[in-house]
Amino acid sequence: MSQSLRPYLTAVRHSLEAALTLSNFSSQEVERHNRPEIEVPIQSAELLLQPMHISRNEHEQVLIEPSVNSVRVNIMVKQADEIEQILVHKFTRFLEQRAEAFYILRRVPIKGYSISFLITNKHTESMKNGKLIDFIIEFMEEVDKEISEMKLFLNARARFVAEEYLSEFVY
Amino acid sequence: MSDWRRIDIDAFDPDSRLTAEDLIPSYDRQITLEELQPKMQQLRTLSSGGDTRNAIHLITQDPPYSADDNTKDLYFQVVLETLCQVRQVDIANIVKELNTEQQVVLVKYLYKGMSLPEGQKQGGILLAWFEKLTQSNGITPIVHYLSDRRNV
Amino acid sequence: MLHLPTNNTLLEATLIELNEAWLNNAPLVVDRIVSDFDHTTLHLLTPDNENRQWVYLSIVLMTWSSLCKCSNEEFLLRYIQSKFDKYNNDSDNSNIIEILPKNQTVQGYNLTLRLDISKLNNQSITDLSLLKTHIMSYPFQLSFQKFNQLSAMEVAPSNDAVSTYRMQYREDENIYIQPSNDRITVIFETIFNDETDKIFSKVFLQEFVDSRKRNRSIQSAPQVLFSNTPPREIINITTNQNKDVDSKFITFVLFPRHFSNDEIQFKTICKLLQFRHYFHYHIKCSKAFMHSRMRFRVNNFIKVLNRAKFDSNDDEENGTSSGQLDDKRRTITGRKLVY
Repeated sequence: MSQSLRPYLTAVRHSLEAALTLSNFSSQEVERHNRPEIEVPIQSAELLLQPMHISRNEHEQVLIEPSVNSVRVNIMVKQADEIEQILVHKFTRFLEQRAEAFYILRRVPIKGYSISFLITNKHTESMKNGKLIDFIIEFMEEVDKEISEMKLFLNARARFVAEEYLSEFVY
Repeated sequence: MSDWRRIDIDAFDPDSRLTAEDLIPSYDRQITLEELQPKMQQLRTLSSGGDTRNAIHLITQDPPYSADDNTKDLYFQVVLETLCQVRQVDIANIVKELNTEQQVVLVKYLYKGMSLPEGQKQGGILLAWFEKLTQSNGITPIVHYLSDRRNV
Repeated sequence: MLHLPTNNTLLEATLIELNEAWLNNAPLVVDRIVSDFDHTTLHLLTPDNENRQWVYLSIVLMTWSSLCKCSNEEFLLRYIQSKFDKYNNDSDNSNIIEILPKNQTVQGYNLTLRLDISKLNNQSITDLSLLKTHIMSYPFQLSFQKFNQLSAMEVAPSNDAVSTYRMQYREDENIYIQPSNDRITVIFETIFNDETDKIFSKVFLQEFVDSRKRNRSIQSAPQVLFSNTPPREIINITTNQNKDVDSKFITFVLFPRHFSNDEIQFKTICKLLQFRHYFHYHIKCSKAFMHSRMRFRVNNFIKVLNRAKFDSNDDEENGTSSGQLDDKRRTITGRKLVY
């Protein structure tokens, strides 16, 4: 793991550990409703906690928005060039289309971020906090790796294909 | 009035909903930029003189909670400069000397730094501070930060 | 499957089938439509049920009208016929492969060939399955002739003498062929509709341009250039002047060694005509590969996430899982608690 990635991931881990103290909370607005307070359109300020920005640089950031019964984790994945942009877009969209298998994945990322997770008290009751955090951390690591591997693969394939085509012209 | 069920009756009750402003503790008086200038000057002298330890102590004591946003931003630029001037090896020792109250203030500055473009450029340094802080104190300062409504 | 076949395999298979059926004394009646790249459709038809020896092979190409403009239709037809003349030198008068006159062409097609199924052999079947390539090779053939003319001239020809052949093989996509006294320039104009394809194509095209410089063993391949604006050679004749269509221009520079004899000429033409298919095919392949890769990665992520769940084997440690606890909790009236 590169030198600057480790403090970044540990910072995210510690912030999440602090934020994942969720409790069941019925809606104050609508009777017999129970909603993730961070997602409610007319937010009640007292239910939201201080948001946490963690950034490695301008292109790699995490925004954790905690509330009384839910935490939203937004991840901005590094996108150095056009190819990475399209790869990140395709990859996150692929994940979002399978959001029901991921329980905590939000179908649409919030503006400015590549992908968002929404963890509610339901999730922390049925899953282990530590492992949930492990998942997010592993996800962040793997996405970067995956994107760069896909990019390398694309270049390698393009090179091979081009050479193969042109070698047909060698007489 | 066929859709009377849909009327938001809470809208007619001014006390029904709390806004972010309501939650900010009330201060006796607001600190102005002029009053902060001497402190900012002192910080600059300390950090340029290499006395980063005292500079950090100065930052984390009595932050200008009551100042307006503009003043806070200007003040923060000085804080960021100071934070970046501390040598990597000194960070751990300085963090150990801080008391709980000071640690919370430091965490506030770190999160604020990482939310601003200027701070994001120095992401590595801020993350180093963050790492040392959590190494010595765990997540306690972060939990304090989460529920503290006083912004820096 | 790295390379695509040059001929039309379905057409070939059908002709073999017909030929074998005839030889087994059980001639078939056929009415089959075969598609090919670039809006090309081929049609095999037995015109006369009683006389199954004869089969009509018709073809319609998008590029036909632009091919006719390269010289004129009569020459074009003569050229196509010449490709099959070698099979027609039988002693009897009826030709094995013959282009029907214009008024007998099957409705809706550019060209109809009458085939004598009984006398086809492997060689002629292969050649027939290359029909589209043969037709589209016409402007290349013209360019080779023109090149010979120009290179024989002592003074370098002025720009006016340079003629450019244009093949419109798809809507908004063209091939330009420009012979000069020392080279033949082939320019592909192509567009990408899909956003991903656009970006992938950039990577691929860049490699086409670079690989020749990097790999010494393919130094003798044609030089490849790539640009987003029409190259100088065709700036005056490109039809596609509207700026919102972002065309890509890929230029192949052929030197005499790429068309030094008939065999090499044909190989070069085949490869060039296949360029677009080959290129698009591999972009699609890359996308498919990425997709399967993502599928694999997603499964891995799901496994990691499922580790976080309170599983049955954890239940012993924790007593009851929270799920069961929820089920047991009731309100005072006995109703289930709903969050």
